[in-house]
Amino acid sequence: MTTSTLRPVHVVGGGELGPLVERALETVDAVAPSACVVAPVPRRAPLADLTDARLADEVAGSLEAVLAAVRGELTHLGSGAQRGSGAHRGSGGRLVFVLPAEPLMAVGGGTAPSAVTNGVLSMARTLSIELARDAVTVNVLAVAAEESSGGTDPTASLTAQLAALLGPGGERITGQEIYLTAGSDLGRLRP
Amino acid sequence: MTALTGRIALVTGGAGGIGRSICGALAARGATVVVADLDGEATAAAAAAIDIEHPGRAHPLVLDVTDPASRTAAIGFGADLGGVDVLVNCAGVLRDARIGRLEPALFRRLLEINLLGPLALTRLVAPGMAARGGGAVVNLASRAWLGTFGSTAYSTAKGGLVGATRSLALELGPAGITVNAVAPGFVETPMTDGLPPDIRGRTLAAIPVGRGGRPDDVAGAVAYLAEAPYVTGQVLVVCGGRSIGDPYAA
Repeated sequence: MTTSTLRPVHVVGGGELGPLVERALETVDAVAPSACVVAPVPRRAPLADLTDARLADEVAGSLEAVLAAVRGELTHLGSGAQRGSGAHRGSGGRLVFVLPAEPLMAVGGGTAPSAVTNGVLSMARTLSIELARDAVTVNVLAVAAEESSGGTDPTASLTAQLAALLGPGGERITGQEIYLTAGSDLGRLRP
Repeated sequence: MTALTGRIALVTGGAGGIGRSICGALAARGATVVVADLDGEATAAAAAAIDIEHPGRAHPLVLDVTDPASRTAAIGFGADLGGVDVLVNCAGVLRDARIGRLEPALFRRLLEINLLGPLALTRLVAPGMAARGGGAVVNLASRAWLGTFGSTAYSTAKGGLVGATRSLALELGPAGITVNAVAPGFVETPMTDGLPPDIRGRTLAAIPVGRGGRPDDVAGAVAYLAEAPYVTGQVLVVCGGRSIGDPYAA
């Protein structure tokens, strides 16, 4: 999927928040090669129901899908990491991970989705360090669902944050984690 | 008497540098420890060493945390001793690479050992713990959860473990089961002996307390969480202060 803006922003990963991200990007002008990774996140299930097969398919499978999506964007983003030279300095790009906030924060019956979202969060933290040499910024947007954030539509908030991260001035913002929750996570320890 | 006196603890990776110290710390607090690891000889040696100091409190067990049958057998072994009250998921592998050089097979392998294995073992022990009124799960995460250069797979796996720890704490709390994580920084073990000298030097220079971690530093944190019934869903970072300073300062 590709959304046309000033520069095309690739939306990859196949997660359920993909359509929301596509809508949010409609009025965003990216000034550098950009990609939004929307992680596929398994549904909540009691621990007792997480069979070995489900752990393999839903947890490992989702994280593998994210890894593949990111690797597929490295050249587009101008990273030298894919070429593996170690000495190459890329031309810069913007990588944004979009995650659902609820499992990222922790939720009962959320072992699998929390494992995936927090795994992606740590992947993003590491990539922000690794890709800094290529001037690729890496950030995370955690979006609460409408029903868990006072009935507020997150689209406008997501648009605003994506515009900041992908637009002019975004080159100095990296390794950040921004929670778009309408305050539904206030007073809680973040991961 | 401590809260661990007479309790049964299963420690995966129990023959490794950190795992062995954890086993010793739990035994010293009165627990009977199942020293579980992949390497049979090392496991037997670790259990024998603990048994000298704490007679009758260490049992060796060969365990492959990636093998479902082996996991089930381990829980059965613990049940024969009276049931696992404390599970310490310590088995782990550190091999990794920058994202561009990371082989998908290695990524999968690190997920299986560092993330899926602990979750599967937790699923297996939780019913028994709940039936006995509670228990404790302590997951060995890593400071890499906060992000570390060249550590895409390891940090992903450990981040996943931290996230699962938090949600498991919510789910299992009503059953009296605490679930916490310990996130060690640089610890002097055979696993870290192979680091290139320049990386090792820079890492040590960025640790505010002025030394690398010792396995006992981590073991003390694990033992505390194993006997703290009102602490759950937490990540205790044991890193000599590296995570609050600039880890790349040197």
